[in-house]
Amino acid sequence: MSETGVREGHVAGEGAALVHLTAARGSGPTPAHRLLAQRFRVLALETPGVPASPEVAATLAGTLQSLGVERFNLMATADAAPTALWLALHAPERVLAMVLEAPAPMPAPSHEASLERRLPGLATPTLLLVGTRDDVAGPAPGRAYKALMPNAHLVFVYDAGPAVGADRPEAFAEVAIDFLERREAFVISRAATVIHP
Amino acid sequence: MKVSFFETIRYLPPEPLPSEWPVPSGTYDREAGAAAFRGVMERLEYVEQLGFDWVSVSEHHYSPRILTPSPIVAAAYIAARLPRLKIALLGPIVPHSNPVRVAEELAMLDNLAQGRLIVGLLRGTANEALTYDLNPAEARQRTDEGMELILKAWTEPHPFGWQGRHFRYRTVSIWPRPLQQPHPPTYALGTSRESCEFAARHHLGCGVSYGPFDVMARATRYYREQCARHGWQPTPEQIVYRANMLVADTDEEAHALLRRQPDQAPFVMRAGVREAMMTLDSRNIAGQARSPIVTGALPTTFVGSPDTVVEQVRRCREVVGAGVLDLSLHPPGAGDLEPLMRALDLFGGKVLPRIRDL
Repeated sequence: MSETGVREGHVAGEGAALVHLTAARGSGPTPAHRLLAQRFRVLALETPGVPASPEVAATLAGTLQSLGVERFNLMATADAAPTALWLALHAPERVLAMVLEAPAPMPAPSHEASLERRLPGLATPTLLLVGTRDDVAGPAPGRAYKALMPNAHLVFVYDAGPAVGADRPEAFAEVAIDFLERREAFVISRAATVIHP
Repeated sequence: MKVSFFETIRYLPPEPLPSEWPVPSGTYDREAGAAAFRGVMERLEYVEQLGFDWVSVSEHHYSPRILTPSPIVAAAYIAARLPRLKIALLGPIVPHSNPVRVAEELAMLDNLAQGRLIVGLLRGTANEALTYDLNPAEARQRTDEGMELILKAWTEPHPFGWQGRHFRYRTVSIWPRPLQQPHPPTYALGTSRESCEFAARHHLGCGVSYGPFDVMARATRYYREQCARHGWQPTPEQIVYRANMLVADTDEEAHALLRRQPDQAPFVMRAGVREAMMTLDSRNIAGQARSPIVTGALPTTFVGSPDTVVEQVRRCREVVGAGVLDLSLHPPGAGDLEPLMRALDLFGGKVLPRIRDL
């Protein structure tokens, strides 16, 4: 663990890098991670108790550089979402696309750092995943990010609580992988409906 | 007490029909059908004059019993021609349907009807699973998910995607939105634990049908308990009870008429299909298993003279807690209009004014 409070967690899979930020301490890989690891090299980074800020984002960018991770997809869960957004604002050319799982509300803006002011300028393709049974943050933060960000997509995961990837791992991984691979074009269906050729 | 008239079109076949469901489509008589559809508006104008609050339509397929396989088409037609009655769609069979399409059509209808739409969402009777090749084992889950998606499509402000178990959409953003806000008064129809819990969680009404008061009261009590758990209490108008009523000048006459009605359901699935279906189609009342009505005629809850029927309605209000009655004054599938019109006169003159304030 670095002095800034960033901890490196588990690593799994091969392929393009997918960095997963969590604010929780010691969270192991979930069934969703195992599915994601079939397509990506998943690196978990934990930022327990570290408030989101541009400074933390700069530290994370440095940590990833030192790990040899230049360009990457970024996933963040709950309280880590604002940190992920600062990271994308700090290094937009390095973050290919983002998945925010049950994102926490935007922190109150400080004088020098306002996500609300910066997000309309962030073009990173971003998938917001919100469970229909999320009674922690609920749908309001997802809607707020969707309204502010020019390239955000809000998807409700039916019957999932705040731990979307734990509650509906296959549903979570399918839409996350599809979005990371196709970005905005993930809205175009590729599901076959032919019953017999 | 509010009162709803259940409109079923009233097709009178010129010749007896086969009794098995599905009824052969080729036996449809175009003249009889045209006459049945022609008669609807004259009847409903009278229903409106009598002071009914709602007219209801429902979704049934492949038989002449209730000729509204697309209740939305019926509702749009009725709404265009009646100025005051509320139009109750009880309702689209959710597990059959594209829920986004249902949300769009209902929102459009609410606008066409200038905010007079009432919606009931349901799973459908057992035979309806055969209509569009629905797996009956999945019907309950598809219903719950579809209902939730309909509510979301009505209320969500931004385009959204839906990653469901049975439905998947990447882009939903309906136009028009419903006129009534946040959406038309909506009921989850059915006695099941799942339906009551869904209604309570989403602040919807609850609708029960045909069963005895004490049995239906088990479902409505469970619904109210669940509402309390979610921190609210439904109004009487949020509980609908659909029933058959047979009102005549005297109790004796009413019971004599009842004895002349068939005691078997008009069109039933063949035994082998029915039995196989029953093993897959589990139903319950507030969590206790129930068997669906498959061969017997639907019971007639209210029977007697106007005085007797008024007392029965008072008991229904007390026991079931229903604030809306959705009534058939003649068996829903019967096409002979004369007894229906006689019952309507009697009900409108001698029953309706006395149950209004119950």
